[in-house]
This record gives sequence, structure tokens and C-alpha cells, in this order.
Amino acid sequence: MGSFIANLILASVRMASPLIFLSLAELYSQRAGLVNIGIEGIAAIGSLTGFLVSLVTGSPLLGVLAGALAGILVNMIFAYATITLCAEQIVYGMAINIFAPALAAFIYRVYFGSGSALVQADLMITLKSALGIKSNHFLVNLFLDQTPMVYFAFILVVLTAVYFSRTKSGLNYKAVGEYPKAAATLGINVIGIRYLACVICGALAGIGGAYLTTCYSRTYVDGNVAGRGFIALAAVIFGRWSPAGVLIACLFFGFCDALQIRLQLVNNTLPYQFFQMIPYAATILVLALIGAKKAGPKACGQPYRKEEH
Amino acid sequence: MKRRDLLVTIIIPVISILLSFVIGAIIIAALGASPLDALRYLWKGAFGNVRNLGTTFSRATPLIFTTLCACFAYRCGVFNLGGEGQFIIGAIAACYIATKSPLTGFPAILLCAAAGALGGGLWAGAAGLLKVYRGQNEMIITIMLNYVATLFMGVVFTNWLRDGSVPQTVAVPEETQLASFLGLRATVAFPVAVIVGILIYYFLFWTSSGFQFRAVGLNMTAAKVNGFNVRRYILMSFIVSGAIAGLGGALELLGTQLRLINGFASGYGFDGVAMALIASLHPLAGILVAIFFAALRVGSTTMQTATGVPTSVSDIIQALVIVFTVAGMAMVRLPGFRNKFLQKAGKEA
Repeated sequence: MGSFIANLILASVRMASPLIFLSLAELYSQRAGLVNIGIEGIAAIGSLTGFLVSLVTGSPLLGVLAGALAGILVNMIFAYATITLCAEQIVYGMAINIFAPALAAFIYRVYFGSGSALVQADLMITLKSALGIKSNHFLVNLFLDQTPMVYFAFILVVLTAVYFSRTKSGLNYKAVGEYPKAAATLGINVIGIRYLACVICGALAGIGGAYLTTCYSRTYVDGNVAGRGFIALAAVIFGRWSPAGVLIACLFFGFCDALQIRLQLVNNTLPYQFFQMIPYAATILVLALIGAKKAGPKACGQPYRKEEH
Repeated sequence: MKRRDLLVTIIIPVISILLSFVIGAIIIAALGASPLDALRYLWKGAFGNVRNLGTTFSRATPLIFTTLCACFAYRCGVFNLGGEGQFIIGAIAACYIATKSPLTGFPAILLCAAAGALGGGLWAGAAGLLKVYRGQNEMIITIMLNYVATLFMGVVFTNWLRDGSVPQTVAVPEETQLASFLGLRATVAFPVAVIVGILIYYFLFWTSSGFQFRAVGLNMTAAKVNGFNVRRYILMSFIVSGAIAGLGGALELLGTQLRLINGFASGYGFDGVAMALIASLHPLAGILVAIFFAALRVGSTTMQTATGVPTSVSDIIQALVIVFTVAGMAMVRLPGFRNKFLQKAGKEA
């Protein structure tokens, strides 16, 4: 039982990390007033790019960087359509959710042909094996047996919290998501910040996807993001648009994910699909419980038109 | 004004489709195949002979249902992204009745269709309740319910209704399967889908309660001020749109797939959303768009065998159509664009 709980906690941290990247991606987007439900699709393209580059170069780190770049590129379509053309954000996010996974699937087919031989890439090594530590103590595993991406995710939460609450630039950024017109009269470049938000969002969503193929699973499969992009949306709402809240939400959803994997391993009477439902059911439950105290950025979802001064 | 809007809703998707095909052709050329050949086989595969035409109609049928589901929901201001889950629940309900009940033949088919619609309606209704009474974001809820429904279907075909050692359900008995439509490869589910589309069109645009649904969709606040019970309309539009998808799932099971199996309905929900948007949420246009998308899918198989161009090229083309259409429709609504357009028109006149 002790090892069950220990493994559960370790897995929770690992499973929370991709969610943290995706939730922060959404947070940066919504803080600038852009609801991007396309991060599920962006994560898919990040996941594929991360896998391919890591396979070709043998470096998972380069894979993550390439995943970020691919995420930015795809999200620029969203940026142009929603910021410049003022397309409806939700609708365009759906378009990205259809386009990006199709692109990922296409590139995979073209690269590997129709043969479905399972190709595997190396995973990022953990700090523990990099340092050559042999101990198997729980705390050693918790703090050292993690890939650099896990540390990066947690550091990013702290940096984001500091940026949004302690810096002038962060406050300006948030103003764009709250009162874009007022922000513009103060000389803040609303359009510029919204594009910047899309760059950050695309990069983080791409990294979140690449995490899945460079730190978690050795190969890319269509649909491997498995709704994490949408769960991240829920995490942002659950976390009340604050980095700390988002972190707690991600740890909770990561825990649900870890729990379902662990329960599948110990139980063999119930069909395993019931366990796989846990993260999705938990998301619905959490949303139902917290109700609709709308606390998000006020201009979220609304286009900003310069002409309307 | 109205005529211009109508023109825009037709011209934008047509330009988007052409643009997507141009990009598709460039990709095909980059893969070392002849775009013209590929296009010819694409056309041949989809419409080349009666057999292929039947396959296209057959593939279009479930897409028409999920498209209508999305059309109806969005017309009423509800962003139901759960068409896939509702479709699956409908299919599961039908599967139980078709394989477990003593009924066979036409009564069984009717009961399956009713159970499918009811199942899909209730599944969507659950999301509707959360939206109406907990103010929850219906997009996330309906998407999460898609995953739950897909996994639940997994339980059904790997455990509860498993067919021996194969992870799929037992097949629907022959007497309960749908009849072929005019001897084509499509079943009567295809004309049923078209009729459902016409009924929805009639309801939304030619009846007063349909107008009320659309009024809620156009401006919820105004509807509330005018004494509409907005909550009831929202809940009803969840249930009706879910029932449409559920009916589609039931008929897809009885007509085409006959078994629940891994990948049943995969992607149909989001596809329906895309097609509804391309069709500007018009049910009749939605039917045409669904047939067009189905043709791309069916034709791409022939294209792959004949030219070696992978079928996923057609997925890219389909995805590009939605990417371009939504952006294009936003572009023509920009004040700057409208001014330019009007100035030009003025000069010419």
C-alpha cells in the first residue's frame, strides 16, 4: 500500500506537468483576452514535431524546442484570424482543433509511409540518472527522478505569478484582457500584446504536446493528447485565472490521471475503461461544483477593433 | 443587404474550397504525384459510378446527423460540441435493443431509433442541466462527455456485449438491419437524414416556435427581456440536438456498421461542427456540405490506390476548408473590408 501511494504521488507530478504547460498556455492567452480552445490541436502538432525531431536528432530537448516552434506557427493562424480578422475565437479554436491534428496525422503518414511499424524515440533522462544517483528513496525519486521539463513547468508557474502580479509589463498585459480600450488610451499596444500572447500560448501548448512524446511516451499516436487541452481549459477556470490556482488544478487533474493508471494496474475485475473515465468525469464534477462565479478577464472572447474608438 | 449576405455565405465557402484544393494540389505535387490525376481519381472514387455514389451517400449519412445536431444547437445559441458522445450513446442504446430484445424487423428498428434519439437527448440534456443550473461552460462539459461516452462504448464492446474473442459487439441481426436505399450501397438512413434536415429547416425558419429558438440564439438578453423562458429553450435545444445525433448513431449502427467497435464515430462530432459552420448553420446547406466532405473521404481511398497519394491529404483539404471559411466570413464582416467593398461598388456604378 505504501508503494502504491508513493507511486501515485510520483505519477501525479509527472502527469500534471503537461497539463501545467497547456494551462499556462491558455492562461497567457485568456489574460490577453483571447479564449483559445485550439490548444488541444496545437498540442497534437507539438507532440508530433517533438517526436520527429527528437527521433531524427536523438535529442529530446531539441524535440521540445521544435514542438514549441511548431506550436507558435500553427497558433499564428489563430492569431491572424482572431486578432486581425476578428473571427469568433471559439469557432476559430475549433477550426484549429480540426486542422492541427489532421496536419500532424498527415506528416506522420508521409514520413513513415503506410507501414505501421512502431518507431520509438529516446525519452529525456531524469536528473537522478544524469547525476548517477542510485538511491530509491521516495523523496529522492520525487525531487530528483524527474525530467528537466518537470522542473521547467513548476518554475514557469512561479515566473508567471511574479510577472502578472509584480511587474508593470505584466499589469499592462492583464489590462489588455480586462479593458482593451482603456489600455489602448494609456498607450499600450493592444494588438501587439495579443499577438505576443499567441506566441507564448502557441509555444507553451506545443511544449505541452511535445512533453507527451519526449518525457512520457516513446512514440506518437494520433489522439495522444487525449483531451488534455480541454482539461487545461477547465484547469484555468478551476484555478480562477491565477497561476497558483492553475497549479493546484493541474496537480489535481494530474492526480486523477495518475490514479486511473495506478488503479488499472491493481484492479482486474472492473473494465479498465471505467478508470480511464476518471480524469474526464472529475473535470465535469469540478466544474459542476464550482459553479459559475465568472472571474475571468472581462474582455475574454471579444474582438478588439481599432476603428471602434 | 439580405441578398448580399446570402451571396457571401455561398461565395466564401466556395472560394475556401477552391483555395483548399489548390493547396492540396501543391501538396500532392510535392509528394511526386500528378495533382490532376489525383483529382480525377478523387472524383471517380466519390461519384464515378452508382456503386461509389452509394458509398458516398452512406458515408455522408452519419455526418449529416452530426451536422444537423450542431446546426440546431448553434442556431439556438448553444455551443454543443458533444455530437460525438451523443451519437455514440444513441448507437449503444440501439445496439442493446437490436441484439438483446426479442423484437426483430421493423418494430425493432423503430424502437432502436427511438431509443437512440432518447439516449442522445438525455446525454446532451445532462450537459444542458449543468449549463442552465450551474452556469457551466457547455463546450468543456460536452467534450468531456464525449470521452466518457467513447470509453463507455469501450466497456460495452470489450465486456458486456463482446462477440467472443474479438473486441467488438455481436452484429445486429439481419432482420433488424436497414434496407438498402434504391438498391444503392446506402441504406434508407440516408433519405431519413435528409428528411430530418428538411424538418429542422422547416421548424427553425417557418414555425413560430422555431423563430423563438432562433431569437434566443440571436440575443439571449433581448429574449429574456421579452419574457422568454430562456432556460427552457436552452435545455430544449440541448435535448433536441442530442436526439438528432443519437438518432444518427442508432441508424449508423443498424444501417452501416452493424457492430460497435473501436473507432466507431471517431471524429464525427467535431466534423459536424465544422460542416455546420461552413454551411453558415443552415440545415439544408449542411446536408450538401456533409455530402461534399463524405465524397472527399470516399474518393480519397480510390485516389490512394491509384496514385499512392495518402488519404490524409483529403483530411488536410477538409481542415483547410474550415480554416479558410471561418476566417473569410470574419474578413468580410470587418468594417474596413465593407467600406472598401462599397467604395469600389460605388465607383463602378
